Amino acid sequence: MIRNYLKTAWRNLLQNKTTSLISMVGLAVGICCFLLLTTYLINELRYDRFNVNADRISRLTFSYKSADDNEAKTAAITPTAPVPVFKKVFSDIEDGVRIVNYSNMRAAVVQFGDKVFKEKKMLAADESFFKIFTFKFIQGNAASSLSNSSSIVITASTAKKYFGDDNPMGKILKVDQKNNMMVTGVIEDVPEYSQIKFDLMASYAMMPRSLTRAWDSSNDYSYILLKPGADRVAVAKQMTNYITKDRPQSGNKMWFSLEPLTKVHLYTTATYGLEPSGNIKYVYILGFVAVILLILACVNFLNLVTARSAERAKEIGVRKVMGAMRGQLFSQFIIEAGIITLFSIAIGVALLAGLFPSFSTFTGQALGFQTWNLSWLLMALVALFMLVTLLAGTYPSLYLSAFKPIVTLKGSASSQAGGVMLRKSLVVFQFVVSVFFIISTIIAGNQLHYIQSLNTGINREQVLVLDIGGMPYTKIESFKTEISQQTGVLGSTASYDSPVNVGGGYSINTAEGKNSDYNLFVTAIPVEKSFTKTLGIKLVAGSDLDIGDEQQVQDTASAKRRYSFILNETAVAAMGWKPEQAIGKKIGLNGRMGTIKAVAKDFNFASLHEKITPIVMFPEYDWFGKLLIKTSGKNTANTVAAIQAKWHKFYPNAPFEYHFLDQEFDAMYKTDQRTGGILTAFTVVTIFISCLGLFGLAVFSTRQRIKEIGIRKVLGAGVVSIVGLISFDFIKLVLIAILISSPIAWYAMNSWLQDFAFRIDIQWWVFVIAGGTAALIAFLTVSYQSIKAALSNPVKSLRSE
Amino acid sequence: MLSLQHISKYYQVGGNKNFVINDISLDIDEGEFVSIMGPSGSGKSTLLNIIGMLDEPTDGFHYFVDQAVHQLKEKQRSALYKQYIGFVFQAYHLIDELTVYENIETPLIYQDVKGSERKAMVADMLDRFQIVGKKDLFPAQLSGGQQQLVGIARALIAKPKLLLADEPTGNLNSKQGEEIMELFRKLNKEDGVTIIQVTHSEKNAEYGTRIINLLDGRVESSRTL
Repeated sequence: MIRNYLKTAWRNLLQNKTTSLISMVGLAVGICCFLLLTTYLINELRYDRFNVNADRISRLTFSYKSADDNEAKTAAITPTAPVPVFKKVFSDIEDGVRIVNYSNMRAAVVQFGDKVFKEKKMLAADESFFKIFTFKFIQGNAASSLSNSSSIVITASTAKKYFGDDNPMGKILKVDQKNNMMVTGVIEDVPEYSQIKFDLMASYAMMPRSLTRAWDSSNDYSYILLKPGADRVAVAKQMTNYITKDRPQSGNKMWFSLEPLTKVHLYTTATYGLEPSGNIKYVYILGFVAVILLILACVNFLNLVTARSAERAKEIGVRKVMGAMRGQLFSQFIIEAGIITLFSIAIGVALLAGLFPSFSTFTGQALGFQTWNLSWLLMALVALFMLVTLLAGTYPSLYLSAFKPIVTLKGSASSQAGGVMLRKSLVVFQFVVSVFFIISTIIAGNQLHYIQSLNTGINREQVLVLDIGGMPYTKIESFKTEISQQTGVLGSTASYDSPVNVGGGYSINTAEGKNSDYNLFVTAIPVEKSFTKTLGIKLVAGSDLDIGDEQQVQDTASAKRRYSFILNETAVAAMGWKPEQAIGKKIGLNGRMGTIKAVAKDFNFASLHEKITPIVMFPEYDWFGKLLIKTSGKNTANTVAAIQAKWHKFYPNAPFEYHFLDQEFDAMYKTDQRTGGILTAFTVVTIFISCLGLFGLAVFSTRQRIKEIGIRKVLGAGVVSIVGLISFDFIKLVLIAILISSPIAWYAMNSWLQDFAFRIDIQWWVFVIAGGTAALIAFLTVSYQSIKAALSNPVKSLRSE
Repeated sequence: MLSLQHISKYYQVGGNKNFVINDISLDIDEGEFVSIMGPSGSGKSTLLNIIGMLDEPTDGFHYFVDQAVHQLKEKQRSALYKQYIGFVFQAYHLIDELTVYENIETPLIYQDVKGSERKAMVADMLDRFQIVGKKDLFPAQLSGGQQQLVGIARALIAKPKLLLADEPTGNLNSKQGEEIMELFRKLNKEDGVTIIQVTHSEKNAEYGTRIINLLDGRVESSRTL
């Protein structure tokens, strides 16, 4: 019996190549996208779970809120004291580790023989690191590898980079020309799905800070390993009590929290994390998209099969007359659906294999079949096979097997081809999804374009950014003089941080005319005097920093310095002053005393997701991280090459690492651009699948109306009027879809835009364009069928048997 | 073998009953060869479909091999029908995707006959109708007469007691038609199959043992030959 079913199914498939292919391709594309997204989601959800202790590890975060702040700020960075102190004080803590991002704090130039690299992912951690976290050692011992202050553990690819095929164990790497670090372990490369990513892990003891136990100056990432059964929340509360007990505070509030390791990546709201965090919202959205796509593909399949019912009607009638029970027919059609599903899954998996490399590049995660556990993948495929077969096959099978033989055999199958309403609703559903995606794509595109073209108050075009982390100012100054001669260089300035993403948290704690407990948390950045001029930041009051201000901070011992501050408009307003009033007012910034010399027009110094907050720029020449070189934009390649040549003359051992400020700016919106990209891709896929469904419905409907069309033609209707007649039926469905979809899309995209402090307004024409596009595509899809019907010979369609 | 008592079938059109079959009572014995005649719209096919249980009457009593069909459930009716009745159509109604062999085999599959047994039965039937050479062809590759032959072979494969034929020669030329009628007569005489056929042709009707004439849903006349 089964063999007979298979045979019929197979022949049916071959006989209707077009429809079979359409349903298979639609289903395959849907399945492929579903698996692609699932792979991505699996990767997101398995983040950090490879750690054996994942359940017991927490990240320590620190939150603070002053009386003058509206919202609490939470940072992932902590001072040096908490881990060693808490470990000793609280019995629930089994172990803890401090990690610093060495690459951010120092130049991180690592040398072995003639091989010199600037390392971007070098960390330093307490020796407990490899006991708490699970990284696979190829050579060396996890427990003892960081026990010495000159120990360093490297990954397999880093070992390859420096030592080729030689044994790396015991070799000495020279770090920043002063630390000789001995390789004491080689681990497998850190997986992409680890929140702590590194190429080199040095001993924390190499840093002078390891000797201090400070409760201020946060620069460490602290991870705590709790004892089994310990209550995370309770421990965090004890920690908070511990610090607040010792330090009475005025209106300020501060507290510790412990974030479970496995929640950090997707749920954290703490700033300054080791890496930009993911977003659980996107996980939900993509999960939803995956399911919707799968449903779309099934719906499409269902639509095409039922659309062909008229052709199958006779066969069903005959089989029934020959004694087929409904259940037997049902199994026959389910088997047919199963065969198509099987092929579709095969095609889908093949497509998937082809798409993995580019999808991995796109998401920045190494995604592939290896992301899955192999037996899970097989199980998922089997489950998918059954699910899709049932989802896509049940309705048509029930529908087809219920045909009354007496009616179908008379050749008037169309008279009982019910379910038209259902099929139409399904097409409407498909187009609701398509239109939703079209609208979303347009809005996301507009927003991304807006971000890129928005005047942020900083002229970031053609600004070259050089990493100069920790070089003495005298050297920086002479390098600056050297390059200022170079044609194409318009100016240069050094600063602590990148001006498009300023980090430092400070507070203004004394101010003229304010109470003694005044405290305003601000962002602040040490800059060179030419900072505002080089970056085109406008001043609304006061005058720019000059040589006098520079000398004041350069030559004086830090305790006696008089600083000149530049505040932005928001900062001044937060202090209750007009820009002009602020000039000359005395303030203190974390102990730095001085006067406000200028007020700068507001500019964006953080992501456009955030509002502009108070910022203070002040001259302090002790440590500069970046050199910003404004170039003319003509012959950029030559200019860069010339700067590079001079750099190597100045710093023979330092690699030349540069990027442009606008690249850095764009990189801040990578997640958003990725969202935009994903939206575009799925828009194309949903439109494609929906059109297949529409095409199926058009085939069905024109066949059903063939007689009506014949009669109309005999009565003198022209081709155009008939095409219009048929097409309008479908355009109507699309119009309904647009009406349903628009408010949903508006709502969804509006809430997406809420994440941006700087955002576009959603324009009405977006809906018109999206609707128009959908309607046009629908019209083109249907027109082939309707034109064919309109051109057919009425004599043929009206002849009755 | 079967007995129809006061069978009616009508449709409600507006306030009026539109009768297709109007109070027909009819008994047919085993071994009969009945021809039903009448003009278009007289209810011939509907009557045949009711006898074949493909259609249900609105009123009346229907007995088939001593069972009250009008009281049976769908499933029981199906089982009864599967066991006793074979159908032949004017338009042959072969399944286009199946070969001659498979078409003939299909009813056996639905009756859960074992594979080896099926093979023997189909081979037997092919042999008897002398279409062994055509067993692997598809319906589209056969002439009308050959297709109808396959249709009859398929109707007979499950050894039905009653063969119902709805204008079996309607789509055939006269020579092919004669052959089919000869075959029917032979089946009736030699194998004892009860046959009820609907026909327009006086000549074909003569092959039977009884002719029933319908008009407007009623039996106008019935004569035994």
